[in-house]
Amino acid sequence: MVDPVSKSSSHAQAEAGSSSVLSLQNVSKTYGEFTAVDELSFSIPKGSIYGFLGPNGAGKTTTIRMILDIIKPSSGSVSILGHSSALKVRNQIGYLPEEKGLYKKMQVWALIQYFAMLKGMKKHEAKDQAWRLLEKYGLKDFAESKVESLSKGMGQKVQVLSAVAHEPELVILDEPFSGLDPVNQTVLEDLIKDMAKNGQTVIFSTHVMQHAERLCDQILLIAKGRKIFDGTVSEAKATIPRRVMLESAGDVASLNSIDGVMEIGRGGEVDTHDSAKQQWQLQISEQLNPQDILRSCFEKNILLSRFEFTEPSLHDVFVHLVGDDAKEHAFR
Amino acid sequence: MNMIRLIAWREYMENVKTKGFWAGILIFPIIFTAVYFLQTTLSNATPTRYYILVDQSGEYTEAVETAIEREHQRRILGEFVSYLIENRKESNLDLTAAGQTNPADQLIDGADANEVAALEQWLDSGGLNFALTIARPALKEEIPPFEQPSRQFISAELPEGIDSSATPEEIAQALRPYLSGDRKLIVDSQPSDLFALILIPDNVNEDVSRPGVIPQPAGRPTGIQYWARNLTDSRLPDAIISSINSEIRNREYIDLGVDNQVVRDVQRTRMPISQLDPTAAIGEEEVSVADTFQQLAPIGFVYLMFVSLMQSVQYLLSNTIEEKSNRIIEVLLASVTAGELMMGKLLGIGLSGLTTIAVWLLSFFLFITLYQSSQTELIGQILEVILGSELIPWFVFYYFAGYALYSGVFLAIGSLCNTLKEAQAMMMPMIMIQVIPLAMMVFVVRDPNNTIVRIMSWFPLFTPYLMMNRAAADPPLIDVVGTTVVLLLSTVFVLWLCGKVFRMGVLRTGQPPRLIELLRMIRQGN
Repeated sequence: MVDPVSKSSSHAQAEAGSSSVLSLQNVSKTYGEFTAVDELSFSIPKGSIYGFLGPNGAGKTTTIRMILDIIKPSSGSVSILGHSSALKVRNQIGYLPEEKGLYKKMQVWALIQYFAMLKGMKKHEAKDQAWRLLEKYGLKDFAESKVESLSKGMGQKVQVLSAVAHEPELVILDEPFSGLDPVNQTVLEDLIKDMAKNGQTVIFSTHVMQHAERLCDQILLIAKGRKIFDGTVSEAKATIPRRVMLESAGDVASLNSIDGVMEIGRGGEVDTHDSAKQQWQLQISEQLNPQDILRSCFEKNILLSRFEFTEPSLHDVFVHLVGDDAKEHAFR
Repeated sequence: MNMIRLIAWREYMENVKTKGFWAGILIFPIIFTAVYFLQTTLSNATPTRYYILVDQSGEYTEAVETAIEREHQRRILGEFVSYLIENRKESNLDLTAAGQTNPADQLIDGADANEVAALEQWLDSGGLNFALTIARPALKEEIPPFEQPSRQFISAELPEGIDSSATPEEIAQALRPYLSGDRKLIVDSQPSDLFALILIPDNVNEDVSRPGVIPQPAGRPTGIQYWARNLTDSRLPDAIISSINSEIRNREYIDLGVDNQVVRDVQRTRMPISQLDPTAAIGEEEVSVADTFQQLAPIGFVYLMFVSLMQSVQYLLSNTIEEKSNRIIEVLLASVTAGELMMGKLLGIGLSGLTTIAVWLLSFFLFITLYQSSQTELIGQILEVILGSELIPWFVFYYFAGYALYSGVFLAIGSLCNTLKEAQAMMMPMIMIQVIPLAMMVFVVRDPNNTIVRIMSWFPLFTPYLMMNRAAADPPLIDVVGTTVVLLLSTVFVLWLCGKVFRMGVLRTGQPPRLIELLRMIRQGN
């Protein structure tokens, strides 16, 4: 897999120091006994694509609502586009909430126009913009349909368009990919990239790591309302060891002797049709060249039916960092 | 302000564009029109009813026939009066009882004041032909001729094979299948239903009851026997019994040596009553029909206010819940403040409510302009009087104040609920509160400055209804000013409070809060 991060992260970091569009200082939100967000601090550079990652119930949506000043933090402060409250710069912010909903009886173009006008666009500009966006993202044929006649995926695309039609400086998308088919996920990824190219800052939350991996300059990982990780994707990947996957009928324990192999464990799926084959996962150090392992296997006569070296994915990072929290939440 | 206007306009347009909105609006005039025509048609369309009279005493046949004839003449008189009202040259509601100048107006007024006396006069003077002659000068040129209503009760012969001299029990038994509809009478070689059997037994005079004599239970039907399956159309038995009673009384007079013509003349003497209004200018004190209607008009306004308010708050509620349940509200709140959203909604839905009233009034005017008849002309004149009175500005004021007050409360309810079902439970007390002044409507019009009514008027949720209700009766100044101030202050307070609840409520998920939680939410303000 190609690493998409390296080329864009440098660009993001170059700007990081110069201006931050959003920063949170020790922001907490409590509901009675329950702490939804706990002492959260981070800052987002202008023009970057920033991922909010975390298991269900981690506090992503609450954080986003506090950023937008829809709810007030119990403590801490938010600085957004140079102001203390998002309400003062509402027209420069675009927002797609987690739970998607639109006025069912409105025509698609009129809906986009309406939301753009609520953000201060002039009537005619907003109308032109609505039609332009609908054409660009393949919804022109549905422009005059009522929202209720759209499929769920199309409705969601319309909602994303209505959130960004006024070309805001800062776009906040809460779970924008959920419910979209792979083709439309790609369309949305392109839209996000276009906005970043345009100098707009995009924050999105997701729990699908592939999107974050492909798009984000930086990610923020939270669980149980606390920050677990904040940094670039490659920095995130460096937090867990590299792995080599082997599949063999024989015993691979002797590979332990290679300098840099830290742990060998059974791993992956077992091939149920051929129980003799076993999968193994080797955790290796930063320095070790995977080629050395392959060479060792030849020397030790270990017959391999599979040899795989992959960079750790963001998925692995996520499971590694918040796996237990996520499970606990799932069974709560 | 721009945002409020934008939100209001969208709310309004979205409402007005739905079919449901128009269905909701138009159902009212449509039902009104339908009921009006249905009533007129039904009363004219009652089928001819056949009855059989078996008079074994041989004394009352004439009386029964007179009764039925009188009933028929009564209908002719009624129709003729409508015909007169519809076609007379000028009709003037300001006319008072004493001011009748022509025979047609006198006839109309007479029928209105005392139908029995009018009918006597009608019959004595020669009925329709005479009335047509005397009314002619008062009627417009080129009018359709008067059409007599057809007879509703027609006498039929006993079917063949039934002996009229058999015992009452036997006759009734033999006619049972006809009365129950199993068998048909043949009248003019057409099969027809038998509506009623009037059976006057031989010894019927023994059953006459007199004052001072307590009738003994006889163990059999006493007096005249009226057999009919239809128990609700009482015109026939009523007419028969009153006619036979007057026949019996006539005989008693004769027995006692009293001239019964004298008695009938005495019975027809009457004293007119002039209603005078002490608040009117000197010389104009006499109460006209229009005055009466102006005093009754508040009932109509209160009702209109209730229906329109209920409809508006319903929209407000379902609309807020729609936005809340599908989370549009979150996007909206990222774009406008909760206050702007609330005001926008109030204005937009208020506009829908006004549209409703406008459409109703328009269709009403259309109806009375397009469909000219005696009743609609009357309604038109009444409306003219009402629209020219000072009730209209009161209605406008109380409508807006009531709307702001109630919609604020309902908006807050909507913001706390996620489904209409939840909202309905919370709405219930608010609806019940409105039912109280509504139930008092007629009573309040009769006694507008009653102490209880005066006290209740100060309760802001009642004020719009009760004060509107009292508006025609010049309530004391202290009531008018005081309740208005209280109403305005509480409206401002309710809107402020609801703004707070709305801000907190719209982002809530889950069950609506209990009262205690609600109070805590308001106090904490977050």
